[in-house]
Amino acid sequence: MSAYTAFVRSGFLTSLAYRNEVWANIFGKLVQVFARVAIWLAVYAGVTAVDRISIGDMITYALLGGVVMGATRYDRIIRHVGTALKTGDVAVWLLKPVHYPLYLLSIEAGASAYTFLLAVVPTIVIVALVYGMHPPASLFHGVMFVAYCGLSFIIHFLCAAIFGVLAFWLMTIFSLEWLLQSLISLLSGLLIPFWFFPEPFGSIASHQPLAWLVYYPSAVWLGRLDIMQTLLYFGFGIAWAGLLTLTLTLLWRRAASRITVQGG
Amino acid sequence: MTALIEARGVSKRFRQHRRFPGLLGAFKTLVTTEYSEVTAVADIGFDIAAGEAVGYLGPNGAGKSTMIKMMTGILVPSDGTLSVLGRTPHLERMANARQIGVVFGQRSQLWWDLPLIDSFTLHQRIYDIPLARYQDNLARFSELLDLKPFLDRAVRQLSLGQRMRAEIVMSLLHDPKILFLDEPTIGLDVVAKDAVRRFLAEINRERGVTIILTTHDLQDIETICPRLIMVDQAKLIFDGELGKLRSALGSARRLTLEFATDPGPVILSTATLTSDDGLIKHYLLERDDVSLVQVLSEVGNDRDLKDVALHEPNIEEVIRSFYQRRNTAAAITP
Repeated sequence: MSAYTAFVRSGFLTSLAYRNEVWANIFGKLVQVFARVAIWLAVYAGVTAVDRISIGDMITYALLGGVVMGATRYDRIIRHVGTALKTGDVAVWLLKPVHYPLYLLSIEAGASAYTFLLAVVPTIVIVALVYGMHPPASLFHGVMFVAYCGLSFIIHFLCAAIFGVLAFWLMTIFSLEWLLQSLISLLSGLLIPFWFFPEPFGSIASHQPLAWLVYYPSAVWLGRLDIMQTLLYFGFGIAWAGLLTLTLTLLWRRAASRITVQGG
Repeated sequence: MTALIEARGVSKRFRQHRRFPGLLGAFKTLVTTEYSEVTAVADIGFDIAAGEAVGYLGPNGAGKSTMIKMMTGILVPSDGTLSVLGRTPHLERMANARQIGVVFGQRSQLWWDLPLIDSFTLHQRIYDIPLARYQDNLARFSELLDLKPFLDRAVRQLSLGQRMRAEIVMSLLHDPKILFLDEPTIGLDVVAKDAVRRFLAEINRERGVTIILTTHDLQDIETICPRLIMVDQAKLIFDGELGKLRSALGSARRLTLEFATDPGPVILSTATLTSDDGLIKHYLLERDDVSLVQVLSEVGNDRDLKDVALHEPNIEEVIRSFYQRRNTAAAITP
């Protein structure tokens, strides 16, 4: 186990090696969050509430999207896995008494912790000070929001890692990055919460795994889910994470055996 | 037999999608189900005992790296059996990994963005090396290879020679029984090559670490490895002491005789005349059991012989002439 905590630390320190990236990151995130807030301000111009959702709710939603999605970078994960597989650098990891997917998760956890502390927190504080932000609906919802954030990170990682492994067979890393990017902006609820989706798309969208990336954590914070629903959907999310873990494990084994039989 | 590594009839064939040239060919490539097979390693067998240092020599594409990858467990042999430390490497890769060290000359295992020392501490965690043991090894190795001046520098700022020394130190920190090195001196300058060679020879001698290294640099083998395994076009062509390679590959010694006065043509039964410049004559000694004394006694005392020079072909020449002969032979038989 201690090897993996050491990887988390290395992931964190590696990010620290590029100081300029921190400032670029903060700036980029500020622009994104401001843009999402500006959209909702425009939509709500002259209206106090749409479907019982106020402009304050929507600003909070836009900010929370920045909180849960700000740190993890699917593009980094896809590129990391994809390049390692395509260039054969992954062989180095097959030579160590370490599970490669777990190693990846640890590295990414370290890197994400770094971005979270140095880019996400300052950004959110700045925007919250400018526009104001609702507190969580209750203590229970606040605590569950943190748990949902952890789940969001895991599912985010799993989806990106699966795409990365797919790059081994399918196509260029770049096109897979684009594909996942569009899927995430639409299906995670990052741009538009599912309660504004027409039926049956709303129901469909809220049951696929990417919904746990942004939609559910934010909905829990805002109290859109009662206690029973909050717990129930947390269970569903864990089930999705289990299924994705299985998928990743199977794909990874196939790729690894392909490397050991075919030499990549 | 207490062989650490046992290879019996090991082969490795890669299947590759057939590719067709040209524009139409590109479309054909998309739908084809034809494969071509490439044999990288063909029917190779050897035993390596504990404490040996073996050089694995061959030209580019001879299947050296493929063999190393099979011994370390990241490639599965197509045929034959391979046993390393009593295990089948690819079936017990993790258990195997703890007892071997691997260095790839062209693939870094260090953490690019972190100070060098961080790569070492990570290695300690990955392999669960007891702290005292780790510190001991690190101190000893970094002194031998002079790593101390740059332990705190980021790996990406190191020179190739510094990096390779660091790679080798890292691969030894967990006290592996076997050390595999795939072209460890590639791209290094003379000084760095020498440092690496002396270090490896010492590790082998003092710690009894079994060393298997691939290279195309003969100097590596002369310094480190008493035993040589030579492969060419996937096949094993020589396994034995370096000194015996010459006779095994059948390279002849050259003899030059210099006379004070031109004796006319001198035809000998023990040596073949290759060129005659009058006073100076060149011969080939094709048979290994013929000694210089025998040749000289055949020349006799009455021929006014002034000087004698015998040229032992160096290993490089032996191997070059072997490859050249092989290529011309291949050209004759279609």
